Amino acid sequence: MSRLLPVVDDRDTGGFFEAARHGQLAVRMCNGCDAVLHMPRAYCHHCGSWDGRWQPVAGSGTVYSWSVIEHQVHPAYPVPYTVVLVELDDHPSVRLIGQLPGTPELQIGQHLEVWFDELADGVVLPQWRPCDSA
Amino acid sequence: MAVADAFSHRDKCAIVGIGATDFSRNSERSDLTLATQAALAAIEDAGLAPQDIDGIVRCESDTVLHSALADSLGIPDLTFWSAVGPGGVAPAAMIGHAVGAILSGQATAVLAFRELNGRSGRRYGQSAVTDAQVGGAGTYDEFFAPYGLLTPGQTFALMAQRHMAEFGTTPEEIGHIALACRARANANPRAQMHDRALTMDEYLNARTIASPLRLYDFCLETDGACAVVVTSTEQAEDLRQPPAVIRAVAHGSVRNPQPGIQAPVLMRESITELPAKTAAKTLYQRAGLGPDDIDVAQIYDCFTITVLLQLEDWGFCKKGEGGQFCASGEIDLGGRLPINTGGGHLSEGYIHGMNHVVEGVRQIRGTSTSQVPNAETCLVTSTPLPPGSALILRRAA
Repeated sequence: MSRLLPVVDDRDTGGFFEAARHGQLAVRMCNGCDAVLHMPRAYCHHCGSWDGRWQPVAGSGTVYSWSVIEHQVHPAYPVPYTVVLVELDDHPSVRLIGQLPGTPELQIGQHLEVWFDELADGVVLPQWRPCDSA
Repeated sequence: MAVADAFSHRDKCAIVGIGATDFSRNSERSDLTLATQAALAAIEDAGLAPQDIDGIVRCESDTVLHSALADSLGIPDLTFWSAVGPGGVAPAAMIGHAVGAILSGQATAVLAFRELNGRSGRRYGQSAVTDAQVGGAGTYDEFFAPYGLLTPGQTFALMAQRHMAEFGTTPEEIGHIALACRARANANPRAQMHDRALTMDEYLNARTIASPLRLYDFCLETDGACAVVVTSTEQAEDLRQPPAVIRAVAHGSVRNPQPGIQAPVLMRESITELPAKTAAKTLYQRAGLGPDDIDVAQIYDCFTITVLLQLEDWGFCKKGEGGQFCASGEIDLGGRLPINTGGGHLSEGYIHGMNHVVEGVRQIRGTSTSQVPNAETCLVTSTPLPPGSALILRRAA
């Protein structure tokens, strides 16, 4: 069974996956005040602007938390695997999820780098893997 | 003067009837039958008849609609109904809706219920995602499910790991929450785990579900239902049971609570705090009470870690010291704050927080199977992940 595919054409979040399709990690930012809008949404309550952009960011981050999943709950996700909560280097207020195979040795602050996993034609998921430094 | 101060609901309403079905892994009954049985029990307990009920509050997660339950019970006219959610943040807020309806003259006797076939029907421990493509439409699942982050327990595991890293909390400390709930269940014949003791060795050696959380950190998927009846405190004086007076009730959110139901909360500024912290501030203010005034508490326990975070948020111990608080026996009978005296979600059954309301009333009546001597004040929390709610029950003056 193939892994679950993300909806990539949602009106508020599609730009994230559009950027990923081009090998780019991007976060939603407000053009009015440069606030980060994460989870992505259209309206900025900081300044009242509806004008936003998908801002390319460095594909580097650190482990904020993690969990080794050992009890299987979905046929497409055999265990064990590890879910990481990633804090972006460029924007520490932005966290994203990654999936690592097996049960890697991890600690808070471990450096990670993004890579792009093409799940299906036109469907690309930003993924993360350990690396030596930022 | 703020509106909230001008229109105080303090002590003006009471829970006058409680009802529950049996809790099991397979009820072999419909959701409607479960809801009807719990409702009839609560109405009978109050000394009322279904015809006396004129309001119904349901949880958004109930499959039974208010009209279906009114039809099933033979209620001639509903002058008020509402639904609260999502899920486990509803129960105390449902009581709040009942209070609001009564004090604004929209109803006089309000039934609040939660029903679920949570083991034989839709299982909360399984992935809710079944389509091949996930997310969109405000769910934000597209950022989580494709990575295999699929259940509430996995989300709380990430929060638990962070709490351990920030504060040095240990698995054994968290295990004391599971043991305390199990010990209370062992005294409660209605509890699903009534006949099964749990030792720390068994807890620590149980299989991992999502690290650092183990089997006994997870609540019990349960079939069952609970219901309560709320009236004015004045009307309660004429009814069968000693009233559990609703001292105060409150909802609470956090700044930037994040959308969705579960996993997006991992984007909050802190993932070791819950909306309990803000609900606590509002509730204590409305009640004119503080943590030192609480004799016993029913703390929402979808997972052990959920309890630990709330003990800190509700001010029973300092931030980061929840593990030590639990390990020192403070949450056991005889401790500073006995919790989940029916066994809780972890060991009695998971009725999405409504069995905590029922058990809270038992403590005020003095009829719990783990009765806290002279308990006058009971906190009931419905504060897991999304914005939450809570209430304080008191014995009548």
